[in-house]
Amino acid sequence: MAAGVELIRSMAAGDRAAFAAFYDRYAPLAYGVILKVVRDRADGADVLQEVFWEAWRTATSYDAERGSPEAWIVMRARARAIDRVRARRRREETFVAPVADAVARDVGPDVARQVEDRDLVGAALDRLPPPQREAIELAYFEGLSQTEIAARLKQPLGTVKTRIRAGLERLREVMGRPA
Amino acid sequence: MTHEPFEELIAVYAVGALDGEDLVRLRAHLAAGCAHCGAALRDAQDGLARAAAPVPPPPHVKQALLARMAAGVEPARRRRAWLPWALATAAAVIAGAAFTGAFVAVRYEARLGQMAREVSAAREQLRREAAALELLRDPATRVVALLGAGPQPAAVGRVIWHDRAGGELFVVNLTPAPRGKAYELWTIAGGQPRPAALFEVDATGKASARIEPTGGGVDVFAVTLEPERGVPAPTGPIVLASKEPQPR
Repeated sequence: MAAGVELIRSMAAGDRAAFAAFYDRYAPLAYGVILKVVRDRADGADVLQEVFWEAWRTATSYDAERGSPEAWIVMRARARAIDRVRARRRREETFVAPVADAVARDVGPDVARQVEDRDLVGAALDRLPPPQREAIELAYFEGLSQTEIAARLKQPLGTVKTRIRAGLERLREVMGRPA
Repeated sequence: MTHEPFEELIAVYAVGALDGEDLVRLRAHLAAGCAHCGAALRDAQDGLARAAAPVPPPPHVKQALLARMAAGVEPARRRRAWLPWALATAAAVIAGAAFTGAFVAVRYEARLGQMAREVSAAREQLRREAAALELLRDPATRVVALLGAGPQPAAVGRVIWHDRAGGELFVVNLTPAPRGKAYELWTIAGGQPRPAALFEVDATGKASARIEPTGGGVDVFAVTLEPERGVPAPTGPIVLASKEPQPR
C-alpha cells in the first residue's frame, strides 16, 4: 500500500512511468467496479479512461491521511460510473423510455444482472447473505439512497441500514481470509 | 462520546446511500474531527474498494491515456513552470500600468468616484441584508406583510421587526415618488403614528430602509407619500399598510 502512495506522489511530480505503474496496479480494480455499475464494456472503457486521466491531473490533491490509494481511485471510479449511467438514463428517458421500460418489465433487471454477475465472480461481495448483498449493491453499484432502497425493497429504513452495516462487517471478515 | 449510533451511519455513508437528516448528522460529526469515526469510514471504504472482482481492462485505454499524456499535460510540474513566467508577466503589466495610469488617472477619476459610490451603496445594501438575516434568527422577530393601498395597489412590502432591535423594511412594485416627494414609513402604536423612515424607490420599484426601535411594540406599519424632507405626522395618501394585529 505504501508503494501505491509513492506512485501517486511521483505522479503529482509529473512522473509518467509512475502513472503507468499506478494504472497497471489499480485499473483492474477500478474497471471491475465500473463494469458492475455501467454494465457495458464500451461505456466502461470510456469511464475508466476518464477516471485515470482525472487521477493524473489531480494527483497533487491526494492525501494519504484520508484514504488508501485503492479507496481513492475506486471511489472516483464508482462516482464517474454512476454519473455515466444517470446521463445515459436521461438520454434514454428522452428518446426511448417507453421501449426500454417495456423490455425491463418483460425480462426484469435482476435476470440481466445475474447474467452479468456470473461474468464477474470471485468477488467478496458474492459471499454475503443475499439480503445484505442486495442492499449494498443497490447503494454502491446502482447509486440508490437508503430511502430509495427501503422503498424499492419495501423494507423499513432501519432494516436497510442494519443490512448495509452487517454486510460491510461481513465483507471485512471475508476479505480478512484468502479467497 | 459514544460512537455506536454513528457506526451504522458510517456504513451507509461509505456505500454512498446516506441521505436526509442522517447525512447532516454524520457530516457534522465527521467535520467536528472525530478521529474514531474517520478511521471507521476509511476502513469501510477500503473494504468496499475490493468488493468487486478486478477485471482486466481493454489495452486501448492505457494506450489512449499515455498518448493523451504525451500530447500535453503534466499537471503538477507544468503549473510550477508557468509560475515564474506568470510573475514576470504580471510585474511587467504592473509597471506598464503605472506609467499609463499616470496619464489616464485624471480622466478616470470621475469614473472611479462613481465606482466608489456604487461600492459604498453595495456595502450598505449588504450590511442591511446581513442585519435582516441576523434579525430573522431571533425567535422574538416577526415578519409583517404590507399590502398596497389607494394609488399603489400592486405594491408589496415586508417589515422584519423586533420590538427591541428595530427592523428592516423591504418594498417591491412601488412607483418611484414624484419630484419633491418621498415615501415615509410610520410605526403606529396605540393609534399614534410616529415617523420611522424616509426612503426612495429605485427605478425597478424596489426599496429598503432601516427602522430604528421605537422603545415599545408596534401595532401597524404604514407608508404614505409626503414632501421630500418628511413630516412629523402623516398628511399624504397611504400607499402601503400592514393589517391591524390579531388580538392576542
